[in-house]
Amino acid sequence: MDILGLLKNMTITHWSFYIVSMLTLFGALGTIMSKNPIHSVIYLILTFFSLSAHYIMLNAQFLAAVNIIVYAGAIMVLFLFVVMFLNLREENEELPKNSILIAASIVGGIIGITLIAAIRQTQIEKVNPYSFNTKTGLVETLGSLLFNKYLLPFELVSVLFLIAMAGAVMLGKREKGERHF
Amino acid sequence: MYPILFLSFSGLITLFLGFFQEGKWVKPATILFLAIASISAFIDWNKPGAYFFNMLQVNNFNLLLSLVILITAILIVAISDNFKEIEYAHSAEYYAIMQFSLVGAIMMTNFQSLIMLFLGVEILSVSMYVLTGTDKRNLRGNEAAIKYFLLGAFATGILLFGIAMIYGGVGAFEIDAISGTLASNQAQSLFLYIGLVMLLIGLLFKLAAAPFHFWTPDVYEGAPTIFTLFMATIVKTAVVFALYRILHQSFQNMHLSWSYILAGCIALSLIIGNLSAVKQISFKRMLAFSSISHAGFLLLGLLHVSKTADKSLLFYSVSYLLASTSAFGVLLALKNERTENGRSNENISVFKGLATRSPFLSAVLIISMLSLAGIPLTGGFWSKFYVLTDAANDQFFYLIVLALLLTAVGVYYYFKPIITVFEKSDIQEAITINPIFKIIFVLTTLGTLVLGLFPDLLYGMI
Amino acid sequence: MLSQFGFILLFIVGAFLMLAGILGMARLLRPDKPNDQKLLSYESGENAEGGSLVSFNIRFYVIALIFVLFEVELVFLFPWSVVFGDKQLIEQTNGLWGWFSMAEMFVFIFILSLGLVYAWAQGHLDWLRPDQKVNPFKSEIPSDLYENINKKYS
Repeated sequence: MDILGLLKNMTITHWSFYIVSMLTLFGALGTIMSKNPIHSVIYLILTFFSLSAHYIMLNAQFLAAVNIIVYAGAIMVLFLFVVMFLNLREENEELPKNSILIAASIVGGIIGITLIAAIRQTQIEKVNPYSFNTKTGLVETLGSLLFNKYLLPFELVSVLFLIAMAGAVMLGKREKGERHF
Repeated sequence: MYPILFLSFSGLITLFLGFFQEGKWVKPATILFLAIASISAFIDWNKPGAYFFNMLQVNNFNLLLSLVILITAILIVAISDNFKEIEYAHSAEYYAIMQFSLVGAIMMTNFQSLIMLFLGVEILSVSMYVLTGTDKRNLRGNEAAIKYFLLGAFATGILLFGIAMIYGGVGAFEIDAISGTLASNQAQSLFLYIGLVMLLIGLLFKLAAAPFHFWTPDVYEGAPTIFTLFMATIVKTAVVFALYRILHQSFQNMHLSWSYILAGCIALSLIIGNLSAVKQISFKRMLAFSSISHAGFLLLGLLHVSKTADKSLLFYSVSYLLASTSAFGVLLALKNERTENGRSNENISVFKGLATRSPFLSAVLIISMLSLAGIPLTGGFWSKFYVLTDAANDQFFYLIVLALLLTAVGVYYYFKPIITVFEKSDIQEAITINPIFKIIFVLTTLGTLVLGLFPDLLYGMI
Repeated sequence: MLSQFGFILLFIVGAFLMLAGILGMARLLRPDKPNDQKLLSYESGENAEGGSLVSFNIRFYVIALIFVLFEVELVFLFPWSVVFGDKQLIEQTNGLWGWFSMAEMFVFIFILSLGLVYAWAQGHLDWLRPDQKVNPFKSEIPSDLYENINKKYS
């Protein structure tokens, strides 16, 4: 295999895909491997940003923006809060047992192999650049679908939010007689 | 279809009813809302079709399912007794969240698009996570809630991944479209198989079938009894019919592939559920393991794509709902019996001397246990009979044998509470039962007996 | 050749390069002589004690959670704002589309804002305040004496 030739033939899309993928994997590995939970969270932010870059390359700009606003912004704040609650000190950190690590890597490896096999087996249709609808993945398309076809799920999402909100404030409420923090 | 819309708003009203007159109208209002929702379901009677741009499927069977779920909910709300077992109870919130969770349950039985299935699962599970953790001062309850939440969120993630895979393989979310694609061409994309397996994992987790059952005993034991009852009845029914719709109405052409997965889960559920239940001291924990074995039986009814599968499943669900409501209800009626540490005694020993203290409660308990064990003359016998007849087939003959053997084991542990009832106890005072409890117990016990004596009343009607 | 996102990428890369350049330059130029006193974190002249990671009040989390829920709601508003005024769709449906999408969004926001109203009315959003204690001490000097003095000299 001529690696040099392969490198020469790569277009700018290829380059950006591989760089962004490497960043994503780096961030994901850093998230699970760093000892300090705050570092984990920051690695996770990196992962989210590079995933957003992937979305942009797939022509899903809105999704990319939402991913940054909601996940890299808001959810990360929640993560940091949780890290703060737990009051983690480095001394009382316990590394998971080796048996768990081995079991986890076997399971993860099997899932990975299955997915790779599935991708290799499927024939992915080449996109025809002349008939391709460039508006796929843009906000307008999403909006007209969301408010037409997916009307009922959209409205019921509000019920889901309501449950989450009512439940969270109810469980987080300090009852009479409980101690102050 | 209409119960979904109605309950979304009535839940909101209930949430705010808690502000008026210290919330004394919340419980009657909830029962009223549920009754209206049940009646509103009949608007769609004999009007089959897909509604809301192919999101919901309406037909008479689905309508019946919604009705079963709603009526069970009415029974549960009636015996909830304003959640006296919970310290710092927020009744209005609990009733509201219960109504919202019913929206999810009905979505799971009436869905046409997999998006609706996902949303239904999510609404139902998020409500259950919250309700599990309602007893904030109970450390076991907190542990159960966090366990249930973490594992459940993971399972929902797998379910969503599976739906995405199926979309990748077929290009559609509608279950009709999926079955159409499956029927038309032979070679299927591997994505479809992976997607189906992931979808199954997610749903089997919610059903508490082995090997995805690890959360069940802890969560059933840690949650307040009333919500354990809710989980054991409504969540199970909703999930099993969601599985029915997916496996029998959408993936019936891939029967060869999924039946083996299902057979493995059935065997494991039956073995683990029945054998682990034998040793339990806590009544709720025993019922948790029994619910795992019942999940196995419910899956047994799904094993073959037959015309009678829906009938037997519905019969099984109804008889299981009635028996569980009685069993957990008796425990709720005895909630004033305390252990040394001040918590309600939830061990089997709480039934000691019940025969002299309250013959009525002991009769209710005994009949429910007999029904759960599958003794003739109760609904439980016929439900097991129908499910096993459906599954009877050369291919999975050993499963039937296994199920019969383990039913015999089941008889052993279901008889433990019954024997305890007749043991002598130091406490002799009679137990006073709330009249509402009495009505509910009479209804569920009569229902169990009627199903046992005249099974065709329900089985022939569907 | 470059798309709009290419420019964004260039900006990101440029920002990182700039950052690295400035910091690197500073490192080369500055004197570097640390001692114990300099490395202490500055706390208004006090010596800092204990770790900086302390347990948080759970109330912050509830507020943050409500914020996330409303942020997700806002995310849904964005695609809606793009399509609800769609001229083509409005013409096709005789103006019905505008009302229809308007109603959809209003129901959505209505349900969620009721949730907020609920949390507010229940007092879940109230911050904890220390109880105000009334001092039981009663002075033997009546208060109008003081007022008289104030009047006299004002």
